[in-house]
Amino acid sequence: MIGSIVRRALLFAGLWWVLAEGRHDGWLLGGVAVMAATWASLRLWPAAPMTLRFAGLLGFLHFFIVNSLRGGIQVAGMALRGRAALRPALIELTITLPAGGERVLLVNTLGLMPGSVGVDFHGTTLRLHVIDERLPVIAEARALETAIAGLFGRST
Amino acid sequence: MLEWLSLALLAVGAFFFLAGTVGLLRFPDVYCRLHALAKADNLGLGFILLGLAVQADSLAAALKLLLIWPLVLAASAGVGFAIARRAHALGIAPWRKEAE
Amino acid sequence: MTSVFALAIALFLLVNLVVALLAAARGPTPADRMLMALLFGTTGTAVLVLLAAAGGGTPLVDVALVLALLAAIGGIAFAKRAWQGEEGGDA
Repeated sequence: MIGSIVRRALLFAGLWWVLAEGRHDGWLLGGVAVMAATWASLRLWPAAPMTLRFAGLLGFLHFFIVNSLRGGIQVAGMALRGRAALRPALIELTITLPAGGERVLLVNTLGLMPGSVGVDFHGTTLRLHVIDERLPVIAEARALETAIAGLFGRST
Repeated sequence: MLEWLSLALLAVGAFFFLAGTVGLLRFPDVYCRLHALAKADNLGLGFILLGLAVQADSLAAALKLLLIWPLVLAASAGVGFAIARRAHALGIAPWRKEAE
Repeated sequence: MTSVFALAIALFLLVNLVVALLAAARGPTPADRMLMALLFGTTGTAVLVLLAAAGGGTPLVDVALVLALLAAIGGIAFAKRAWQGEEGGDA
């Protein structure tokens, strides 16, 4: 409990330092803000049944940045070539991640990954719109699932 | 040196925004347009923020610029899924390439 | 030199935003018009941070940050509504 209070307070203090752009004249207000934020976060998200893993977070960030780069470059190329480059289709995919935060993150993040946009979701069936059905979208979605599982400290 | 890096990153960012708009104009339906905007524009913003961050006055100022990116990404991810789901619920059929 | 370049890119993105907004507003479906919400979040934020670098000063970065924060809350609310619609079984 004490540990999580200290960790969160340090996190919010770091955030204040960034928001104040490193200036030191606002720390009186900053201290109040940090305490209020810590209190609110403990009320809204009581000490950690669902902890994010730091190593998983780095892994996820790396995965995310690399793939949003790939996705952006791919779709920019298609935009320049026009609709002849497109071969859209709807595909269905069975999700293996457990319900809750993991699935919410998966369905929403898929829209920023190469080739896919989440369209609909029933039970464990996710419907995706893919911009080119020749792309290995299912493998990409599975890789994203693995990265998310790592973020939440589970292994698939 | 850092200035040239910054200018290059800003130019790359502008290119992705342009690509997003070109996709919006040329793609045949709302789903494909969503691909273009969600991916290209967010990457463009990432490059613009990085380009400004490398020239920021302090580390804290640079981090503050970079902090904007995940927020806009969260917005785009949520809004993008909501748009696709709405389009699907409205019964908008995806454009298909005609068989050759 | 950076400030001139930043201003030029800000103007370019502004033109880009207007063209994209007009294209999205033209539709043809209501879902196309929802794309305008995406455009404001990304391009709007980019224009603000560029104007800050072009001489507008750091308060504009704060404006961009608040815009991004509000867009994020809006986006999460949008997605959550879509989610609850799913659980309510409207489909």
